Amino acid sequence: MIEFANLTKRYGKFAAVDNLTLSVKPQEAVALWGVNGAGKTTAIKCLLGLLRFDGQITVGGCDVRRQGRAARQLIGYVPQELAFYKEMTTVDMAQFYARLKGAPAARIAPVLAQVGLGEQGGKRVGALSGGMKQRLALALALLGDPPVLVMDEPTSNLDTAARSQLLHLLLEVKRGGKTIIFSSHRIEEVETLADRVAVMEHGRLQFTCTAGELARRVGLRTQVKFLVPGSQLDQALAILQGAGLQARRNGVGVIVDVAHGEKARPIHTLGRANIEVTDFELE
Amino acid sequence: MNVAIIWTLAQKELGDALRNRWFLLYTIAFAGLALALSYMSLAGAGIAGFAGFGRTAASLINLVLLIIPLMALTVGAQSLAHEQEQGTLAYLLAQPVTRPEVFLGKYLGLALSLLASLGLGFGVAGVVLALSNGSGSPGAYASLMVQTFLLSLTMLSVGFLISALTKRAGVAVGIGLFLWLAFVFLGDLGLMGTAITMRLPVDQLLWLSLLNPLQVFKMASILDINATLDLLGPAGIYAMQEYGDRLRPVFLGLTLAWIALPALAAYVRFHLRGDL
Amino acid sequence: MGARTHLHRSRLATLSGSAVLVLCLLVAGGAALHAQTAPQNLQALIDAAAPGATLTVAAGTYAAPLTIDKPLTLVGDGMPVIQGDGSGDVVLITAPDVTLRGFVIRGSGDSLDREDTGIKVAAPRAVIEGNQVEDALFGIYLEQAAEGVIRGNTIHGMALPISRRGDGLKIWYSPRTLVEANVMRDTRDAILWYSPESVVRRNDFADGRYGLHMMQSDQHTIEDNVFRGNSVGIYVMYGTGFTMRRNLIADNRGPSGYGIGLKEASDVLLEGNRIVNNRVGVYSDASPLRPETNVTYANNLLAFNEIGLEMLPNTQANRFHDNILLDNGQQINVAGGGDLMRNEWAVDGRGNYWSDYAGFDADGDAIGDLPYTAKSLFDTLTGAHPDLRLFQLGPAGDALDLAAKAFPLFAPQPRMTDPAPLTQAPGLPPAPGMSAPPRTANLAVAMAMIGVALIILALGIGPHLHRWAAGHSNEFGTSHD
Repeated sequence: MIEFANLTKRYGKFAAVDNLTLSVKPQEAVALWGVNGAGKTTAIKCLLGLLRFDGQITVGGCDVRRQGRAARQLIGYVPQELAFYKEMTTVDMAQFYARLKGAPAARIAPVLAQVGLGEQGGKRVGALSGGMKQRLALALALLGDPPVLVMDEPTSNLDTAARSQLLHLLLEVKRGGKTIIFSSHRIEEVETLADRVAVMEHGRLQFTCTAGELARRVGLRTQVKFLVPGSQLDQALAILQGAGLQARRNGVGVIVDVAHGEKARPIHTLGRANIEVTDFELE
Repeated sequence: MNVAIIWTLAQKELGDALRNRWFLLYTIAFAGLALALSYMSLAGAGIAGFAGFGRTAASLINLVLLIIPLMALTVGAQSLAHEQEQGTLAYLLAQPVTRPEVFLGKYLGLALSLLASLGLGFGVAGVVLALSNGSGSPGAYASLMVQTFLLSLTMLSVGFLISALTKRAGVAVGIGLFLWLAFVFLGDLGLMGTAITMRLPVDQLLWLSLLNPLQVFKMASILDINATLDLLGPAGIYAMQEYGDRLRPVFLGLTLAWIALPALAAYVRFHLRGDL
Repeated sequence: MGARTHLHRSRLATLSGSAVLVLCLLVAGGAALHAQTAPQNLQALIDAAAPGATLTVAAGTYAAPLTIDKPLTLVGDGMPVIQGDGSGDVVLITAPDVTLRGFVIRGSGDSLDREDTGIKVAAPRAVIEGNQVEDALFGIYLEQAAEGVIRGNTIHGMALPISRRGDGLKIWYSPRTLVEANVMRDTRDAILWYSPESVVRRNDFADGRYGLHMMQSDQHTIEDNVFRGNSVGIYVMYGTGFTMRRNLIADNRGPSGYGIGLKEASDVLLEGNRIVNNRVGVYSDASPLRPETNVTYANNLLAFNEIGLEMLPNTQANRFHDNILLDNGQQINVAGGGDLMRNEWAVDGRGNYWSDYAGFDADGDAIGDLPYTAKSLFDTLTGAHPDLRLFQLGPAGDALDLAAKAFPLFAPQPRMTDPAPLTQAPGLPPAPGMSAPPRTANLAVAMAMIGVALIILALGIGPHLHRWAAGHSNEFGTSHD
């Protein structure tokens, strides 16, 4: 459904995306994974025809450069943060984009209801919360019922509750049969939504894998801080290090570097040694 | 190119203009000052027993020269730059629209907003003038508004060019203000100084001044109202004798060039732009 | 004209020439007879007439050229046409005391060198009255024909470029001429040379070059005339003793474009004239020329001219009072730079009304408490460098004046000072009026402009109205598409 063929985008000598070749099958959800600056957003902007680039990108067989409108007609786009005309109301905005997409106005009400904005129609966009804005962005992307959804870090600016709400909506959309490509550096986003992950580094595609394999393949680790009673601090440190964990002292607590999927292990280790963990937090 | 999409974009620009404080302020300022000028001519009419449209028109020309370029330049300068700064431009272009449509839609929308603003200003003042028997011939008044609209389009085009060349709305408006200063004051003052010190021949002075679209507007308007440029002194008399009936097409050509060329340059720059 | 009155000069009354009898019989014969039996050869009748006779000429067309070489009174009945053959003069009067009344005179030659004329008079005391001169290079020409009367004639010039037209009216070495109630269109000039003590009143001269030009000629009264749409309204060159009263002088434009021009004219009174919408209202150069004389401007209206008064710096001993200078683009210009301080801008404590006067009148005596001064920097600049007039009506000129006010260092010397400016416009004497502009059409145009604006605004608001309409039912956008 989406084909990147030798996509290269240079800014002077610097290649933001370097020879990316990637294919996304219909109804597949592919995540572009990587740290900031890995080239994910650049690849997405190329896909949307916002940047000039070398190589070729097609969406549903349409070349995004030569048949830009047709390609974008197939795409619903959810940006990282909706940059919107703050003075417009939600419904005005939806009407405006519906007309640009040639979508029937009758779709506006159901789509807004679908993302839970049915009651916010008369509200100014500037007055919406961050989560509502992202849901509005999703609604706008879905107005034309496009087969492809393109998203750039869709949940990165949201708090936990809004994030899970949006992810839930996105999962529904995915089940509705959309082809999805999105950039992310959040593991739960990828694990919830993606079928396949394309891992990028310095503009290059390193490898692709399933979403389940991602954490292991990239050696994803998390720093967890544990608070233990002060008298047991040295003992706890020794026990954790003895169990083969990378632990170091940090003020009144211990910081442990754990692999993705092993975050509970230090608690169990300490528990078995009868050291009470009073609190912990993910760094 | 899809006309429905261009119209949708134009309509949105119109709606934005109605919400834009600056735009409202300009419109009110222009209409208010035009109205005040009309009342002043009304007072004159009371003394003379009739009013002379020539003087009212002269004041209107002066007012237009001051306000309309400022309005059109700042509005034009913000057009693309502001949306780019907000990120809305990239989002807009990610929709199934083409860049020519976006450019034309914006230009059309802003041009129509300017026309609405001018229509209100000239219309309100015109009613007062008509009721006081002070508006001369209806044709002259209408043509003054048409010339003013053309002038606003030249400045809108220049504003678009600024907008296409800059990324930040603040910078674009700053450049717009400087160009306003240059078109309205610095150009004329510089040319006056040059004319005095270099003893410019009258034909050179005329053509140098015609490089400024504001001067073209002024001369075209005076020609429409008075049918002659004699009030502009030797240079105006020279222009009448040397070019006569060809002046109107020359003025129109220069104006259209000032509308088309900067707009075209702005469009090319916008079209080739790859850093949105 | 209806009653067939035969004007006989008393000294000729006893003479009754046979020609007169013949004509009178013809007239008595009945109106129906005139057309068929009117003699086509008017010259023969004139030749046959006794001096002092009155010839009543019936309607019809008579061949020209015609020479009247004896004192006769020719009266046209029903505007008979004297048709020239397109060469030379049409009617030539070489005898004194000739009256020519009620004819259409047309078809002169078009040679400027020969000064081909409709009615040329070369003898004193002619009365040219109620004629219609058309398609003639020169209209009426008095050449050494003193004490003539030119009254109630209509003169239309040939449709030629202005440089090839002749004078509608030329008075040459003909003192004490009376020019009254004539209408003149599309000719070159009405001009009086060396014809002192002539009076020009109640005429309407338009669309020519000089509405009225007086050259080397003294003691004239010019009153109640209308001069419109000429290059110059009234121009006086070299002469003494002019009274110009209650004239309307409007729309005189073009490279010279003066309402009234005075060049070395002495002892001039301008009173109650309306001088409106000319390029320059009054232009004055070395007037008065003679010492001990004045040029006095009293109670004139100078309004809506590009320049109200344009004077050379040599102008002095001019006296101004009770004039209205209203909304002229530039009230006063000193051509070539300099000042006009050697003139009296107020007489007996009364100055003039200036529409741009910015002072006040605290004691309520209708005289401003601060003097009116003309010291615009831009105006001073254009006085010295006329080319800079190109920048008129632009904000740059205003900026210069503003700068001069803010930094008095740059402020020019005042060019004139009216010590007692009037704060209320004085009343004007009645004068020929001006036509009102078409009010309904203007209103329609203004309304159309507002209409255009409202339509555009409605288009902009349109999508939002939609929302307001749909807002209550919560049915978003159902009416779209």
